[in-house]
Amino acid sequence: MSVPPGPLPRPLVERIEALFARYPYRRAALLPALHLVQKEHGGWLPDDAIRATADLFGLPDQEVRGVIGFYEMFHTHPVGRHVVRVCKTLPCKLRGADGILRHIEARYGVENGGTTGDGRFTLECFECLGHCSTGPMMLVDDERHENLTAEAVDRALGALR
Amino acid sequence: MTPQANVTIDGAKVAVPPGTNLIEAGRRAGVEVPHYCYHPRLSIAGNCRVCLVEIEGMPKLQIACNTGARDGMVVHTKNDRVKAARAGVMEFLLINHPLDCTICDQAGECKLQEYAVDHGTGVARFDDGKVRKPKNISWGDRVVFDSERCILCTRCVRFLDEVAKTPEVSIDERGDRSSLIVRGDGQLTSPYQMNIIDLCPVGALTSRDFRFKSRVWFMRFTDTICTSCARGCNVTLGSRNERVLRMVPRPNPEVNDHWMCDHGRLHYAFVNDESRLAAPKVDGKAVPYAVAVAKAAALLQAAKAKGVLAVASPFMTNEELFALAGVCDALGVEDRFFLKPVGTGDALLVHPEKCPNARGAAAAGFRELSSPHPSSAYGAAIYAVPREGAALPPDLLAKAGKRVVLSLRDHPADVLLPLTTWIEKDGTVISAGDRLQRVVKGITFDRNLVAERLLLERIREALEPGFRVAETPALAFQRVAEAWPALAGIGWRQIGALGVALRRAEVPA
Amino acid sequence: MLAHADDPAQRTLAKYRANGGYRALGKALSRTPEQVTDEVLRSGLRGRGGAGFPTGKKWQFVPKDSKKPKYLCVNADESEPGTCKDRQIMERDPHQMIEGALIAAYAIGAGACYVYVRGEYPHSIRAMEEAIDEARAAGLVGKGILGTKFSCEMWVHPGAGAYICGEETALLSSLEGGRGYPRLKPPFPAVEGLWRCPTIVNNVETLACVTHIVARGAEWWASMGCSGSTGTRLFCVSGHVKRPGVYELECGKFTLRQLLEEFCGGTNTGRPIKGCMPGGSSFQVLRADELDVRFDVDALAKAGSSLGSGGIIVFDDSISAVDVALNIAEFYSHESCGQCTPCREGSDWVRKILVRLASGRGSKSDLDLLWDVTRKMDGTTICPLAEALVWPVQSYLEKFPADFEAAVARRASA
Repeated sequence: MSVPPGPLPRPLVERIEALFARYPYRRAALLPALHLVQKEHGGWLPDDAIRATADLFGLPDQEVRGVIGFYEMFHTHPVGRHVVRVCKTLPCKLRGADGILRHIEARYGVENGGTTGDGRFTLECFECLGHCSTGPMMLVDDERHENLTAEAVDRALGALR
Repeated sequence: MTPQANVTIDGAKVAVPPGTNLIEAGRRAGVEVPHYCYHPRLSIAGNCRVCLVEIEGMPKLQIACNTGARDGMVVHTKNDRVKAARAGVMEFLLINHPLDCTICDQAGECKLQEYAVDHGTGVARFDDGKVRKPKNISWGDRVVFDSERCILCTRCVRFLDEVAKTPEVSIDERGDRSSLIVRGDGQLTSPYQMNIIDLCPVGALTSRDFRFKSRVWFMRFTDTICTSCARGCNVTLGSRNERVLRMVPRPNPEVNDHWMCDHGRLHYAFVNDESRLAAPKVDGKAVPYAVAVAKAAALLQAAKAKGVLAVASPFMTNEELFALAGVCDALGVEDRFFLKPVGTGDALLVHPEKCPNARGAAAAGFRELSSPHPSSAYGAAIYAVPREGAALPPDLLAKAGKRVVLSLRDHPADVLLPLTTWIEKDGTVISAGDRLQRVVKGITFDRNLVAERLLLERIREALEPGFRVAETPALAFQRVAEAWPALAGIGWRQIGALGVALRRAEVPA
Repeated sequence: MLAHADDPAQRTLAKYRANGGYRALGKALSRTPEQVTDEVLRSGLRGRGGAGFPTGKKWQFVPKDSKKPKYLCVNADESEPGTCKDRQIMERDPHQMIEGALIAAYAIGAGACYVYVRGEYPHSIRAMEEAIDEARAAGLVGKGILGTKFSCEMWVHPGAGAYICGEETALLSSLEGGRGYPRLKPPFPAVEGLWRCPTIVNNVETLACVTHIVARGAEWWASMGCSGSTGTRLFCVSGHVKRPGVYELECGKFTLRQLLEEFCGGTNTGRPIKGCMPGGSSFQVLRADELDVRFDVDALAKAGSSLGSGGIIVFDDSISAVDVALNIAEFYSHESCGQCTPCREGSDWVRKILVRLASGRGSKSDLDLLWDVTRKMDGTTICPLAEALVWPVQSYLEKFPADFEAAVARRASA
């Protein structure tokens, strides 16, 4: 398999190619691969990275874009250095998620889907994140923060660089 | 003998091969099950939910397109429960659909309009904001996309993937934000892309070429064939005020299935060309037909002794070629050729022969012009200029002597007779696959034009006393059928809209 | 299943084995696949993903004579609002599920198992990957497991944020590298699943149960719980309760009210319980006066709701049913895959109507409209996401009419 020209660095391509062996059809590695490509590009998927990934998989580029567009976790526009996902679904709402969201919006001047002015984090209002018994909760990148209060939020977000 | 499944649909009993989907089974029983996403040539999507029917013994309504007939099945497509479900689906389709009918080309042939009237509730209850999506997006220079009108049936996606084998369209986003997207540079590349316009049940995909040209209910429709290559894809040609506005494919399982190529579809501007030859000319000056015909006959007769060259066009009908061959017989012409334009074909429909009737020309006794060219000089030539793609080589032209030329456009000649296009006459051609197909008169480009078959027969009449012009296209065909073994036994009325397969051995290669 | 949940070392292979782990696998491999399936069948185990289909029966749908490779998929997409139990197994005692998956793979003849974990569970993904790597290194995953001829590979496959991928055919579409579109049935996954090969999709908790069933026998399992809901089950309680959390309980031994008031200490707000969604947000709500229902699959179904995925959400009377219904409608319209007309268009229409009602811009006819729109979505779609919106919303309309009338009245007085 020849390395396609474009912005995918060789080590990344090798990690993706290692995934191919797990499935009888290469296409099945697409979602795990997109996660890797997104991580490599600072948390989002630039257009030429999408095209290079499509080439690597032998797929039409718009087909890959259509897959990306289906899933919440993939971004096609730049995000902040961190991604903050606050759950808004019923169990968390019942424990005060609305207030947490309003607090973040007010304190950090950012709306759902937006990024703070200093580029520190992108706020995303998310649907059920599966921590219903310890809500309200948020995911900050791969870290979770449960049983949130405004203070706990500030401690977590204040630590972000 | 495979066992049949006997099913009852709305009380009508019908026997079909087990597993036949209920839309097709319904057709056989004379029941039309409404549908959008289903198409007999595409994989099953099952997403529109319009074809929901009730099957006795199954608690939930089932989609007819994905349900195979089983022996003893009893199906209801029109009871209250089904009607209510269908009305519900229609309502859902309309809540976000833009009120574009007044500016949408699809109006009058829009399945959403039709089913809304036939199966909808007739009242709009949606009072909230409609979803907004991109509109008037060009996917290249042929197809225009309007995402708000799109009902996401995925016929276009599946066609480009499964039939045209160029998967250039996919769906983006999720839920009611879903929208179609095309490959990176926004341009479709498939030479068959315009078929998605026909497939689209609504006005989400429309033709740039046809955009805003006419309402469909003002057009006259003629079932004929395309003449851009030897395939002879069956088409329905739409005209208005004696000018061609568009062509769309017409299903013929033996020829083109449900499709045609874009090139053929768009290739009709020459018909409407106002600078076409509208009257005959002698020595460059317009003359009445009678004068031109007499002069042509005299010219050819005078050259008979020295020899006459005859060049036919494979864009002519069988009847015209037969008439020209008749003139050649009357003149004792030995050098009878035709010019065949060729190009590249493809694996789907496009044929490398870029003319509709090379087979007819051969059957009429003309030989394909090949090197080396005949070296003798002629007294005269009668030359039917091919519509495009081929011309008499200059060296042969130089040896032609006096020229009687038949052409669509102006051309150097001693006698110049206007040709008409395939949409202006009734006749037959022999398409690839040795199929006899009809061309059908749909417009009269100019009331003064005379059919070239009649002109050729009148020339023959002048050369051959006792010969009588065939008064009707049917009679003209009959004479050809009597003369050509390949057409033996075929009656004019037999040919129909789908044509007739000819016996292979009879047709010259 | 939660016996060792508080011991962080339980995640390691060594501790898992020390506590008796992987003996069930050894037992299973010494029997025939049919015997293993029979054991699970006799235990009465029902799927723990929400549908509650008998697990042994599902395994039997795999055609024995098929020459195609067979696959096991673990549905770890846990996205049902109110549900956070599978995560406990994956994070705290993952080998329990791995062992169950290997047993299941053996029973159905699968040579590969994909653990589809939702992308928003980085801890579960990491925990599963580490545990599988340990198991592989110890010869428990891969070729010739425990020295037998049985080989099965296992990989974690991350999702990327789509609730619909918890529907088994949508999971397959996603795993194959596409948009998470549910598929038309028939064909069913057991016959034509991943890459059109026979595939069984089982929930995380279901497979953890399999381990225990094979270890200690179907009779032991069936001796717990009650008929129709044998064994133990994990339940998550969330919302307005004093002691939210994940509980391992036997069905049929208590009522829903006992669960909420005694086990969970009643509301944490001092206000009375107004309603409870016992099966997550996809099923009907029960009013405060309807909680004296015995807590098992059949009794709850008879009461017009469901045990569902075991996610119990409780709310007090400080919240209007209109706001609850709106939150639910927002969820389903956001998560609708968009493939089929009634759900794609209807789910957001329902949401828009509820938005107006909740903000005092709704009218009486909107209530009739909600009933009619939801009825037209019910039973007309490719997958049950439509019903997952319709049933709860209709139940709120039916059981809390005062809240809706108050919402309508707000407009009249505006």
